Amino acid sequence: MASLGYYLLLAAFVVCAYAAAISVAGARRRSRALIESGIGAFYLLAAIMAVASAVIVYSFVIGDYSIRYVQRYSDSVQPMFYKLTSYWGGLDGSIMFWVSLLSVFGSAAIYVNRERHRELIPYVVTVISVVEMFFLFLMIVHNNPFQTYLTERPTDGTGLNPLLQNFYMAIHPPTMYLGFVGLTIPYAFGMAALITGYLDDSWLRAVRRWTMISWLFLSIGLGLGMIWAYEELGWGGYWMWDPVENAGLLPWFTATAFLHSVMVQERRGMLRVWNVCLVITTFFLTIFGTFMTRSGVVQSVHAFGDDPELARLFTMFMVTTVVVSFGFVIYRLPLLRARNELDSWLSREAAFLVNNWILLFSAFFVLFATMFPTLSEAVRGERLTVGPPFFNQWMLPIGLTLLLLTGIGPLLAWRKSTVENLRDSFLIPVTLGVVTAVAVAALGVRVWTSGICFALSAFVVGTIGQEFWRGARVRQRATGTDVFTALVGLVARNKRRYGGYVVHLGMVLIFFGFAGEGFKQKEEAQLKPGQQVKVGSFVVRHDALSITDDGQKQMITAHVTVLRDGKPFAEMYPAKWIFRKHEESPTTEVAINRGFAQDVYLVLATFDAATQTASIAVDINPLVNWVWMGFGLLALGIGIALLPDAVFSFATAPLPANAATTALIFLAVVLSQGVALAQDTIPAIFRSPLERQVAGEIMCNCGGCRLSVSDCGMMNCHGKSGQMGKIQQYIAEGKDHDAILATFVREHGGYDVLMQPPNRGFNRVAWLLPYVVAVIALLGVAFTARRWSRHETAAPDAAPIDRELDARLEDELRNLD
Amino acid sequence: MSSETSIKEPAPSLPSWQLFALAGLVGATIVVFVSRGQSPAAIILLSLVVFAAAAVGAAALRTFVPFVRGHEGLSVSIVGGRARAAIDREKTLVLRSIKELEFDHAMGKVSDQDFAEMGLRLRTRAAGLMRQLDAGAAYSTQIEQELARRLAGAGIAAAPRTDRFCTQCGTPATASARFCGQCGQRLESA
Repeated sequence: MASLGYYLLLAAFVVCAYAAAISVAGARRRSRALIESGIGAFYLLAAIMAVASAVIVYSFVIGDYSIRYVQRYSDSVQPMFYKLTSYWGGLDGSIMFWVSLLSVFGSAAIYVNRERHRELIPYVVTVISVVEMFFLFLMIVHNNPFQTYLTERPTDGTGLNPLLQNFYMAIHPPTMYLGFVGLTIPYAFGMAALITGYLDDSWLRAVRRWTMISWLFLSIGLGLGMIWAYEELGWGGYWMWDPVENAGLLPWFTATAFLHSVMVQERRGMLRVWNVCLVITTFFLTIFGTFMTRSGVVQSVHAFGDDPELARLFTMFMVTTVVVSFGFVIYRLPLLRARNELDSWLSREAAFLVNNWILLFSAFFVLFATMFPTLSEAVRGERLTVGPPFFNQWMLPIGLTLLLLTGIGPLLAWRKSTVENLRDSFLIPVTLGVVTAVAVAALGVRVWTSGICFALSAFVVGTIGQEFWRGARVRQRATGTDVFTALVGLVARNKRRYGGYVVHLGMVLIFFGFAGEGFKQKEEAQLKPGQQVKVGSFVVRHDALSITDDGQKQMITAHVTVLRDGKPFAEMYPAKWIFRKHEESPTTEVAINRGFAQDVYLVLATFDAATQTASIAVDINPLVNWVWMGFGLLALGIGIALLPDAVFSFATAPLPANAATTALIFLAVVLSQGVALAQDTIPAIFRSPLERQVAGEIMCNCGGCRLSVSDCGMMNCHGKSGQMGKIQQYIAEGKDHDAILATFVREHGGYDVLMQPPNRGFNRVAWLLPYVVAVIALLGVAFTARRWSRHETAAPDAAPIDRELDARLEDELRNLD
Repeated sequence: MSSETSIKEPAPSLPSWQLFALAGLVGATIVVFVSRGQSPAAIILLSLVVFAAAAVGAAALRTFVPFVRGHEGLSVSIVGGRARAAIDREKTLVLRSIKELEFDHAMGKVSDQDFAEMGLRLRTRAAGLMRQLDAGAAYSTQIEQELARRLAGAGIAAAPRTDRFCTQCGTPATASARFCGQCGQRLESA
């Protein structure tokens, strides 16, 4: 089987090369036969990859441990489901999976567009084939998943990493890959348009749908990754700015920017060069993300280890991509010249420009901060850590600005907003926002960022609600139906716009959930059976500890009762699983009680079987579920936008007005909880504010988590307890915050023990550069805008329209509805 | 399979695909018999391998058939990029944009002046496209150009091209035509 698989990969490479070459030849000689053959070869590639995939999955299922990859990522006791998903559990398999998905996705895109965009197709085939050739080449020379053991054949496998044996982890990579892979399609079409010179808007139309689909997969992939982190890693949060998470986020930013700025091109014919560049950048970032995480350039929980050879190959590919792509852009610059004109800063176009600026800046910032440790090591030879505190500090204002723009953008008119229509359209949303802000302030919310976030959320919901309402009214007047029918008709007629609004609503929910982070409560307590601890309004009682075994793993489960206001609230079972093959890294099985207002999140941190003592970390995470709901709504919105024209139903599912009220109700629920002090039998392990602060800034040195000491969720973590002990000791010695950090750095021998680089010397670059880039980019935007606004508006070429044609036009317009 | 009955049409690709589907089924059946005793999952996967292999066969055929098949649909090289359908789609899009503009105007998002200006631009464009569609220009000019090119290649001088158009419907006409090919309007002699 192994050699069959390898030959299949070789064959795939040959077919790929054939498809690329024959398509170019066909396009240049305008020979239909050659082009058709190229398309056929492309389908053939998909078929071959399907066979190869089936072969490797079969090897996993029958447990062919002579294949290295199978041996390393599965074992005989693994459940069938995880045997199947082990296919993408490691580096080699995931590259192969990537190629398979790309070939299938690409085939679908080519099949759909082969008649409509006949002139682009051969080059699309070429571009995708070349990309696939690179990955196939990687597999053939360097990461062959079918490599076998030369000497004796092991009898059993090592087993998939226990952390990956989680439902969300099983489906997270495929969705993520689909997103990444899907973004190759817009790139291929963009390049085809550049090569052929057919640079009107038709390639954009071919691409928008695919971009939306990939964007959806990317978003859902990110969401699933967050759920996985939340459920499996056991540190109470869902996003820690790990390089791999960032790698997924980077193309997400640029793809989002593209989806927005494409509208400006469709509507006003502006930003044509910019859009091509965005597509190229997005594709580049998907490759760069893969490179970053697969080659060991940056440290990460996901990283597959150091691999300079892989890094070299990837670098070559990336440089080639950039040079060739942007080379074509420069070559075609004359054809891309657009009629750019900006009439006013108070226009939709300008809002889109600012939106693009922020999204691109986010992408740049995340990229920069992720790469900074590597950069610093190269320049200064000093390893640093750029952890969540650094990111949060920056992304908070950026995120809030983006949220604000989400509310402003749709209210602005194209070209120019007059004072009257500003007043008219901003009145309700702004009132809603201000009222929420006042209510939040009156309720005594001390976390001002969350307060602003709530107010902005209300503002955006007001905007979207108003858009739906006014649209429905206009349509009602035009068609003379009832409001409900008008609403359905409204959405059905402009699915992209209203689907987009639903997506915005999803983003609001996500932000609403993020804001809950500000009210998070986190305690840890050492409990004997029968003892309890009070956290917020909840009382957590430890009842018993049980130890069971199912052959694959040992399970230590704490039986915990949670009480609220004296009444039983939930029975919960946080656990630790120790997998036979991976005893050194037990997994945390978090117990979560989900609710609209908050999650009660229990982690069994350490235990002592003899005394039945369990140390339980209790997190009260407010509003987390709104994030997941937001992702759901996001998917729904894209679904609406992608609905085929024939479908005219269900488009009214989201009722923004309702969402506003429910959101406010839950806001009230959350805020009314208040913060009560623990005063029960066992107090939570006491941590002074200073201790908490320092614990959040020092990295746990257990070697795997890359989290701060306060967040590491590993059982009996030697690193954590050691660091914690030191912190307590230094505090007892009377050292202040800076002195403690300095001591840690001295003892550790490097600044990478800190979660964010200290603000001095070369590191100041890390703190300064984002500012500089943001300002320069803003100046750039302003400069271009000014140049555009100086253009004399050309008088519309008022060609006389004959009356008969005009009448027919009116007729067709009526029929269109 | 049934090629005797469809000599004139380009051979439908369906039969070959069915053939391979059949081959896949047969292969899968054989696999199921041969690999008795293995777990169901393994058998299913082996069947999938066989089916995928059948797909490889079909796709391989698809790759090479364009060269052997001598049908005119494939052997003739492509002329021009855009077809009539493309113009038609373009028109629908412009019409939609007009609709959208009207809607935005009703929502108060576009000022009256802009509405008039942008509306006029879009309408002019739509009218132009409609005229193009009426004239069938997408086809006829392409054919004419291609014809001229081939005739020139064959050493025959093409009929002198004129820029004559029908006065009534705007259809291009050849220099020697006396009546419009589209509407029958008598053309003034050149």
